[in-house]
Amino acid sequence: MTDPSPSPVHISRAGILHGARVMIPLMPGLAVFGMAFGAAAAQKGFTALETALSSGLVFAGLAQMVALEGWSQTWTPAGLLALALLTFTINMRHFLMAASMRPWLGELPGWQAYPSLFLLADNNWAAAMRYRAKGGSDAGFYIGSGLITWVFWVLSSVAGQVIGGGIPDPKRFAIDLVVPAFFVAMLVPNWKGRREAVGWGVAAAVSVTASYLVPGWWFIVIGAVTGALAGGFADD
Amino acid sequence: MTSLVDPQTLLAIGVMAVTTLFNRTAGFFLMRLVPLTPRVRKVLDALPGAVLVAIVAPTAVHGDKAMAAGLVTAFVVTKLTRSDFLAVLAAVAVAAGLRVFTL
Repeated sequence: MTDPSPSPVHISRAGILHGARVMIPLMPGLAVFGMAFGAAAAQKGFTALETALSSGLVFAGLAQMVALEGWSQTWTPAGLLALALLTFTINMRHFLMAASMRPWLGELPGWQAYPSLFLLADNNWAAAMRYRAKGGSDAGFYIGSGLITWVFWVLSSVAGQVIGGGIPDPKRFAIDLVVPAFFVAMLVPNWKGRREAVGWGVAAAVSVTASYLVPGWWFIVIGAVTGALAGGFADD
Repeated sequence: MTSLVDPQTLLAIGVMAVTTLFNRTAGFFLMRLVPLTPRVRKVLDALPGAVLVAIVAPTAVHGDKAMAAGLVTAFVVTKLTRSDFLAVLAAVAVAAGLRVFTL
């Protein structure tokens, strides 16, 4: 034990349980949004099984909810391409998060690292990074935090679908506010200054303009990419 | 509505699933090959916020007064409490209340 570096990266049962336990306080909030997604999915005609498949396989709440806004009964190749682009754009942050996991999970064999990346989500990624920053090396922590998030997300989505299918007029109960209000709440702590002013201003102006000119979801992709470029190239 | 899974819906879910899996693994894979330059990192850092704004701004512009009031409520409550849960609760309450009184 003369090696000064942190203990080797491994996956243990204790680590998995530790990671799951740390996430427990976040689960009620997650379940509320899972139920909101389920209820919104029911309004779009999703069955319980389709809701479970979407939450279980896609496992990206933001993308799932946004995609519902323009969900259609029949899909053309162009519609599927727009859906893929929308999903890709919204989840671009996962690209960076996964990149940041390289120094840690990169120590594991590929057959363990790549499947575990399926569990990557905003909250458990943040929790895992905090654990890693404190010197943790047990990748089980990350996997456990992801597993509990996945289980709560799928179960609450299905519960929302079952209950939400019974809501007669969702607009009257302002269910359509849930997603945009949550987005506003997510934006507020991200405000840091000039870079955000430029990026968000451009994103707002371009997306609103595009929403009048282009059909479908393209206004999101167009507004987000121009906004990110403007913000990324803005000097501090 | 009698079937458990509609093939068209399944296809669309499958497209989303493959795309998210690509998002989750590609960055990890590429970190071996292409180091992120500071500029690329800045653009990627700015992306999540830009995505949210590009969704919220058109929603606010095209929505009714209750939508606008609800989103302002969400902003104020987040500022005051730092709780996204309370912000959504308050936004929904305000918008639902306004719609009851104006309908």
